Amino acid sequence: MNWRRLNQALHRDIGFLCVGLTLLYALSGIAVNHMHDWNANYSIERFELKIDPLPPGIITSAQLQQVLRQLGESKISKKHFQPDPENLWLYADSRMIRVNLPSGKVEAEKLQRRAFWYRLNFLHLNHAKKGWTWVADLYAGGLFLLAVTGLLLLPKRADLKRRAIMLSLAGVIIPLFFLLLYY
Amino acid sequence: MRNAIILCALILFVTLSAGNTLAKTFGEGITLKTATPVSELLENGDAYVGKRIQVRGMIVDVCEARGCWVYVAGDKPFEKIRVKVTDGEIVFPLEARGVEAQVEGILEKFDLSRDEVIQRKQHHAEEQGETFDPASITSGETFYQIRGLGAQIEGV
Repeated sequence: MNWRRLNQALHRDIGFLCVGLTLLYALSGIAVNHMHDWNANYSIERFELKIDPLPPGIITSAQLQQVLRQLGESKISKKHFQPDPENLWLYADSRMIRVNLPSGKVEAEKLQRRAFWYRLNFLHLNHAKKGWTWVADLYAGGLFLLAVTGLLLLPKRADLKRRAIMLSLAGVIIPLFFLLLYY
Repeated sequence: MRNAIILCALILFVTLSAGNTLAKTFGEGITLKTATPVSELLENGDAYVGKRIQVRGMIVDVCEARGCWVYVAGDKPFEKIRVKVTDGEIVFPLEARGVEAQVEGILEKFDLSRDEVIQRKQHHAEEQGETFDPASITSGETFYQIRGLGAQIEGV
């Protein structure tokens, strides 16, 4: 087998091997880039309510029960916190409820984990650590080999060769341009 | 080939339908045997700055965008302390809100000017999807924060 055939075989097989991980990193990469516009890990439903106002201060057990009754909550009981005399935070299952005592204004959040995206990001951002770090390193090595073997796949036809060189150069110049622009 | 595709589909199904796979231990976990009350850190913080300490309490808020910080409730009313971790090193799940935790890290002290406080609170509000009025900040701020190294959180 000459080096061209070996190079082609390597490029093809590494390419197939990297398909799953490339899709994973590509999808998660877009999701993570736009985390401020769309939380890929959680679906957070927000809603507002109004209850009877209460005086600021350390909330008493009776007042807490009154708040819970008005919110239609029964499970929360002890899971509450006051960041200051005017505000009360309540926790129940996947919900967090913020109550402003003097105004009676309530802001509630209902949380739901996006199973697919959470797992994708879990792997992409290497929250797993341990053995997954090795897999991610091997994948990075695979991508490096894909790039090198890809460069060596230069076509023989002059017009295609020119195009291949131009595209490869563009791939190098684009990150350099943004480095000059923002760094 | 057909068997390989069926195997892949099976693995995918089992993975996606599995329950929460996150461990209860985060980062380096817990190494200290005793915890320091949050009230002690807030009152006499200078004595602990630069030291590894542990706090115990309910997690009352978590960074929505990246899970890169939590607030742990103190032992006295209206007290809480922020634990900030390096992005990606530890990621606190949002489900940790309202859950008891032990958190360890190095205590740090920050002396911020008014502009720095505004910048910090603006960033915090953006992360949490909250509104923030810069005019509400009238002066600089001095506060203590834990650089989180490890944690143990119940039932997440």
